[in-house]
Amino acid sequence: MKQFGILLQKEWRENVRNYKIFWIPCVFILLGITEPVVNYFMPQILEASGGLPEGAVFEFPTPSPDQILMAVMEQFQTIGIVVLILAYMGTIAGERKSGTATLLYVRPLSFLSYFLSKWTMAAAISLISLWLGFLAGYYYTLLFFEELEFSALLQMVGSYSIWILLILTLTLAASAILPNGGLAAAAAFAVYLLVQLADGLLGANWTISPMKLPGYAAAWLTGNPRLSEFVGAIGLALLAIIGLIVLGSWAAWKNKAKTKV
Amino acid sequence: MSLMEVNNLTKQYGQELAVENLSFGLEKGTATALIGPNGAGKTTTLSMLADLLSPSSGTISLADGLTVGFLPQYPQFFPWLTALEFTEMAARLSGVDTKKARLQAMRTLEFVGLEGAMRKNIGAFSGGMKQRLGLAQAIVHEPKLLLLDEPISALDPTGRREIMDLLKSLQQDTTILYSTHILNDAEEMTDQLLFMKDGRLIEHGSLDEVKSRHANPRIRIRFHNPAEAMKFAEEHPWKTYVSADSVYLSVDEEGPGMQQVLYTLSSEKQDILGVEFQTASLEEIFLKVVAGQ
Repeated sequence: MKQFGILLQKEWRENVRNYKIFWIPCVFILLGITEPVVNYFMPQILEASGGLPEGAVFEFPTPSPDQILMAVMEQFQTIGIVVLILAYMGTIAGERKSGTATLLYVRPLSFLSYFLSKWTMAAAISLISLWLGFLAGYYYTLLFFEELEFSALLQMVGSYSIWILLILTLTLAASAILPNGGLAAAAAFAVYLLVQLADGLLGANWTISPMKLPGYAAAWLTGNPRLSEFVGAIGLALLAIIGLIVLGSWAAWKNKAKTKV
Repeated sequence: MSLMEVNNLTKQYGQELAVENLSFGLEKGTATALIGPNGAGKTTTLSMLADLLSPSSGTISLADGLTVGFLPQYPQFFPWLTALEFTEMAARLSGVDTKKARLQAMRTLEFVGLEGAMRKNIGAFSGGMKQRLGLAQAIVHEPKLLLLDEPISALDPTGRREIMDLLKSLQQDTTILYSTHILNDAEEMTDQLLFMKDGRLIEHGSLDEVKSRHANPRIRIRFHNPAEAMKFAEEHPWKTYVSADSVYLSVDEEGPGMQQVLYTLSSEKQDILGVEFQTASLEEIFLKVVAGQ
């Protein structure tokens, strides 16, 4: 585990010096702010764009704060996840392809430390981005709309964090398995979509499916998900994360010969 | 004492044999030059010895606790790290104590001539500086065995000279195996020669052994013009061949010795430009051995 510290320092320097530590949180904060702000100013926006015909009366039901935050989550589910997959698809494949990995692999390297250092840094940035995004969205929701219990937000974001970790770990494992970042991203998307499709078609009764985590996370805003189902889904997601970490470390070791010499 | 023994090392990619039944040993404290044309399998061999590639068959046995340093032909670095940060990380990953690693990295960078660029980002380095940094990362943990893939080929003549001198100064404590196609330099630093072609070892031995097998020593007499050379060759009973303004006499049991040649030249009052004893250079031997296969 001594190597973990050395490699984590390298990952830290990389993520600071290629500005990932700045721009990824910025994207999430922007996404988080957009929903409440756009909803609040919707009447003015429509008026300014002159979009409504003369005399039309349009009732805007004021959205509830939980609806706003669920919309923020939907933004994260699409744009946020795309950003994270694209940002980290090349984590391992890219190092192999450019050959920078070679000078690491020729040392007595622990590939578990190697994978974990990358995972830790990527997870830290993703979770910080996610929390900042939701907190920014929450702040504007309070400002423009009604109260929402802070504890409900904590429960929601906490649960959703596990989901984001799962997607991120899948991306890193794909990057360890496949020869380049583009393929890794494509594979991560493909797996994500396939599992979601399978869960949608066949998983109606499989209540502890990790794919239902975003739904359970959202349920905290209006009440709480059924606890046994929620705990089961979290547990399975954590198991899948650990499994993917082991798979990713093994694949990184297995593919070490593919680094450019 | 043998530091590394390689036995019947083979690497196969599909139908193609990149390395075939390679066997050799590395004695402690020696320098071995791995020589061969492009595509001979040198890089594949070094990658297997550095444990990047696993052999299809055959074995590599290392002395217990052997530490290895490796310099690839085109070392790639993280451009956003400084030379010092990178070298220190390399040292620590190779097991150097955290406390010692920085000092050792600084000393090594000084040794390879990068003391002025230690705190610069590697992204701003020239090709020659990267080659030096490559050497630094390979030696920073003071390995017992150094594997170098074309360490000098990408350098200009001055840089080549400097790196060769650095390598020679390392030789006292380090066993070195390096591939090269710059044979003049190989001749300068080699206890063992390994010639490879098409993945196979086609000749090996010490420089002297290889030279005595292939060098064909000869005496060259230079005349003012080709006509005089031709005339001399015709008038003497020796086995000769003429090329441009020179006559070459092969030195073997039947041929004349230097003494006899000098005596003949002076007694006949031959007007010559020069006479010298020649052996084939490593380059000529290499071309001959490769062509002979």
